[in-house]
Amino acid sequence: MDQILEQARTIYEGEIDFKGQQLAELLTYALLTISGIIAFLAGFVTQNIYQTLYIGLGGTALTFLVVVPPWPYYNQNPQPWLPAKTGKSALDGVSIEVDGKKIS
Amino acid sequence: MHNTLTRVQNVFGFFTSVAFAVAAAIAMSVLLSPQTPSASLELRNVQVVKGRPHYYSTKREEYAHVKFDLDADLTSLFSWNTKQLFLYITASYPSSDPTIIPPSEAVIWDAIIPSDYAPLHPNTYIHPTSKTAPKPKKSAKGKGKKEVGKPYPAGASPGIVRLDNQKPKYQITDVSGKIAERENATLTLHWNVQPWVGALVWTNTKTVGRWQGLQGGEAKFAFPPLKGTEVKKDDLKTETGGERNRGSPA
Repeated sequence: MDQILEQARTIYEGEIDFKGQQLAELLTYALLTISGIIAFLAGFVTQNIYQTLYIGLGGTALTFLVVVPPWPYYNQNPQPWLPAKTGKSALDGVSIEVDGKKIS
Repeated sequence: MHNTLTRVQNVFGFFTSVAFAVAAAIAMSVLLSPQTPSASLELRNVQVVKGRPHYYSTKREEYAHVKFDLDADLTSLFSWNTKQLFLYITASYPSSDPTIIPPSEAVIWDAIIPSDYAPLHPNTYIHPTSKTAPKPKKSAKGKGKKEVGKPYPAGASPGIVRLDNQKPKYQITDVSGKIAERENATLTLHWNVQPWVGALVWTNTKTVGRWQGLQGGEAKFAFPPLKGTEVKKDDLKTETGGERNRGSPA
């Protein structure tokens, strides 16, 4: 049960790695700006404002589709965890105090 | 951008910025399309009779009934950002004391002329078909289809208006109830260009940039003396637009 919930949470949150976040941001700005420019020009050339409306909305829908789901290309550079430390060396350089008493 | 929700918010947020920028560009782009409106407006007949504001009123007022000819070419007002054109004609006349009181203005006729791309609306204008123009042939194909009138004459485009001996839509009176024998009255053509996005533009009589002012569209006249029952009721009829359907299903 816990595993299923964990999977559901992963799908819902759709987290991506740092490089992926940079790419997603770039794509958002690029796609929306370009679709806005194309929409204006298409409408102006055909002298039909409906072209502008539908190309603009279509471009936005495409951007949502490209950017929002956690596509695999946003998870190409997962950040590795630090290697686990075991034994006494695990507490090297770490000081823990409890009630003013130093524990390590 | 680390999870789905922030990505949705970011994309939608930037979409609103782009939509605003494109809308602003469209609104500004109309300045590039040249306008050369021209019109010839002439008074055909004006009659003043006694009447009452509504059926149960005991108040008797003078009403003027103005017939006119209009030949206008306003096609250049229809740019890609024009949704519809509101055309109206006013009769204006100076007040009793022009130094203090401004002249009175009353609308005698109006029309909503939609662009070809505007969705069909029952209140929009239907241009009268001219008697000289050939009637469209009735074919077996178009039999089931109801003929829908166009807001411009056959073969023309939006903005062309050719009216001959047009009845007014509204009879006019003055606040004082007296309108007969007023001098120096003027019939004037006005319009509002209603855009899809951007600013509403009123009649321009002066040239601004690529927009030329209206050529013509004015006629001087004087209100005649009051007439009695010798005026036939038929001569005082008014035109009703599509808005007579108000309140009932279109």
